[in-house]
Amino acid sequence: MADAAMVNAPDVKQDLSRSRARGRRLVDAVATLLLWSAASIVVGLLLLFVAYLFYKGASVVDWHFLTGNPTAAQAGGGIGPFIYNSFYILLLTLAFTIPIAVSAGMYLQEYASRGRFRQIVQFSAESLATVPSIVMGLFGLLVFVEAFHWHFTALGGALTLTLLNLPAMMRVTQESLAGVPATYREASMALGGTKWQTIVRAILPSAIGPLTTGVVLIAGRIFGETAALIFTAGASVSYGRSAYDPSVWHTAETLSVALYQTHREALVPDADRIGNGAALVLLVMVLLFNIVARVAGRRLSRRLTGKST
Amino acid sequence: MLTTARFAAVLVAAALSAPAAAFADTNISAAGSTALQPLVTAAAGEYQAKHPDTKISVTGGGSRTGLGLVASKAVDLGDSDILAQNQPNLIDHRVAVIGFAIVTNPDVGVKNLSKKQIQDIFSGSAKNWKDVGGKDEQITVINRPASSGTRAVFMKTLMGGANLDQATLTEDATGTVVQKVKQTAGSVSYAAFSGTRNQSGITEVSIDGAAPTDANIQSGKYPYWSYEHVYTNGQPSKQASDFIGFLKNNKGLLQKTGYIPVGDMKVTENDR
Amino acid sequence: MVGFRASRAHRDERIALAILMACSAIFVVAIALILGFLAINGTKLFFQDHVSPLAFLFGTTWDGFGGHYGALPFIVGSLVATGFAILVGGPLGVAIGVFFSELAPARIAAVFKPAIEVLVGIPSIVYGWLGLTLLVPALGAITHTNGDGLLAAGIVLSIMILPTVISLSEDALRVVPNALREGSASLGATRWETISRVLVPAASSGIAVAVILGIARAIGETLAIQLVLGNAPVLPKSLLSPASALTSEIIIDMGDAPDGSPFRHALFSMAFLLLLIAMALIILIRLALRKRT
Repeated sequence: MADAAMVNAPDVKQDLSRSRARGRRLVDAVATLLLWSAASIVVGLLLLFVAYLFYKGASVVDWHFLTGNPTAAQAGGGIGPFIYNSFYILLLTLAFTIPIAVSAGMYLQEYASRGRFRQIVQFSAESLATVPSIVMGLFGLLVFVEAFHWHFTALGGALTLTLLNLPAMMRVTQESLAGVPATYREASMALGGTKWQTIVRAILPSAIGPLTTGVVLIAGRIFGETAALIFTAGASVSYGRSAYDPSVWHTAETLSVALYQTHREALVPDADRIGNGAALVLLVMVLLFNIVARVAGRRLSRRLTGKST
Repeated sequence: MLTTARFAAVLVAAALSAPAAAFADTNISAAGSTALQPLVTAAAGEYQAKHPDTKISVTGGGSRTGLGLVASKAVDLGDSDILAQNQPNLIDHRVAVIGFAIVTNPDVGVKNLSKKQIQDIFSGSAKNWKDVGGKDEQITVINRPASSGTRAVFMKTLMGGANLDQATLTEDATGTVVQKVKQTAGSVSYAAFSGTRNQSGITEVSIDGAAPTDANIQSGKYPYWSYEHVYTNGQPSKQASDFIGFLKNNKGLLQKTGYIPVGDMKVTENDR
Repeated sequence: MVGFRASRAHRDERIALAILMACSAIFVVAIALILGFLAINGTKLFFQDHVSPLAFLFGTTWDGFGGHYGALPFIVGSLVATGFAILVGGPLGVAIGVFFSELAPARIAAVFKPAIEVLVGIPSIVYGWLGLTLLVPALGAITHTNGDGLLAAGIVLSIMILPTVISLSEDALRVVPNALREGSASLGATRWETISRVLVPAASSGIAVAVILGIARAIGETLAIQLVLGNAPVLPKSLLSPASALTSEIIIDMGDAPDGSPFRHALFSMAFLLLLIAMALIILIRLALRKRT
């Protein structure tokens, strides 16, 4: 608009366009600066969180804390049984999640190219993925705890977490399979293999790297899940030697639930201390899962692709 | 992987068919009042040391939670500060008497409150400590949720029909209340002796001149107390009954954890 | 011999396909059961206890033992906390997505991106713990209040949705054809002009999906905000007064509500409402993606 009025004054116009160019460069520089600072702030926040949790928790976490039993009402308790329960539920959940989700992912990626069933499964998976974990916990309560009369059990908790993590595992499978070069499929088919043989012999092995990365990252998520477990696996452990119960029927308070419950009930005088320690242990576990996912994924795919070519 | 799938299927089938095996008689589960929880957990620890084959799990949740869970047979023992209403199946076992205290952050400096002043504070009409004889400092009320027996007994013995202002901080359990009062300047709440004894950093307030002591409760001078009940759904199993007896009669443990043995009371609830 | 082998392979193929399809069907059955169970239990309040849906949605008094089931305080709490998170975390997340896709040198991305991935992995209970022990006292000191409330919850949620928004908006930008970037640059546009006038509009549906999934994550978050909300079951007076949300109230009250009581049914109605919101968001995402194609 402004240009139209200035049309008869070429030198003014030139001046203006020069200053406007300067203005545009300035905006660009400011925007660049803002984008850089936005990213830096978030990374800074992460560093702050990690530093804070270490600062508060490092003096708490020692061998006794990691392996000791929680106490009922005195100070000085440990988190051994909670860690045991976390791994117990993690492994049980993976035992359900991996076969189901990998199968479904293989079906969608390799068999069902189009068609109604594929669409329904895809849409169901997306819907399942957005169910809030507290809502999933209530579903688990209705079904496993109440309808099946199981009470609070590790199994009920694991099945609830399975529902929560199936969609992510399926996605990981689909993406891993999609990343396998078409030549692998063609080569195997050309050798006379059936589709299933091709999947098992050629495609799955070469997708194992990203698949492993995905599994380990999902394992990290399962390890930290809380809301869905409170009403399914329960929020208590029995004290004493029965704390490490091998049965799937045991009430299994995991480490993340314990962090919540310790604060919520604050029954022990050193609840804050235990909370700080538990939060640090959870953080370190998540960092470990992330590192393992990266390293293992990279190693496996290097070795297996090296072998199969 | 197919074997894994098959294994999972077997596991699910086993799960569906054999849940009964999970609950042997040597499991005792208790849930409910967080005012009674310290006693039950401490007793569970001592009891299991003597009976290594018995598993006892203890959860909080609040008195009404405990009553609900025992009524639906989700737990064996329901711990409660309040009487069960219209639940003919539930059998009451009085295991102890518990006192409760009005607690403040030490910076408040108020040592005594009348019932009327307590009602003003918790109904929201008194907003500043100077309204109830303290210094010029804003009052921060911390409540327990509606399921809390501590809150129910508070309403019954001290509030005298006045309404509770609910627009306040709300903490789930006795221990959390005590923590929050410690951390928050000008704060006031109510909590069981079992959570306030052996705690520094909080002030217990006298009510109408009566200090919150065991002696004042036994003699009837101090009003804010109640019986602690353990409810069973029908007659308890032999193990559960044995454990309830252990709770009730272990005087040393009762006193150590802040409770009064039922037999030491000179007044009953009706005398209040 | 060959024939035998071929028929066995053929049989394996059929068995495998049946198993794979059965596993896929589990997804369909699962979501149908979840919807069914929650619909049944979430509407008992209306059909069995004869509480009007309007009294539930717009009532402001919540007293589960006293016959009042007004969930408006929690609906408002959830919406305000989520809205705050989207207003703060949304633009910030998209900006960082732009940063990774358009600006970040490879060496910086190699450090920053794993950091963001760690942020995704931190359990929500740990975010809650950080909120409780780090954020709330800090807010309290700055504002001379307790620090608990919707502001604290909004800040926690802003941080928690960042990784989702960042990675999805970055993906959306990366699929924008390079020709658009080159074309815009050859017309003399600065990098910022290219980003704001060409790339972001071109990736808008993908960015919309990123933000919607951020909303989905925020509205369903439970423990992280329960620890910082202050948990007063009333309409919040301000961002700094104690409040509650749908999710946090469920976790507080669920254990207390007796079996078969209207109180418990009201909690399931809240859960059903959350589920309906989640489903609505999924449909929104579908619409956003359809527009693109």
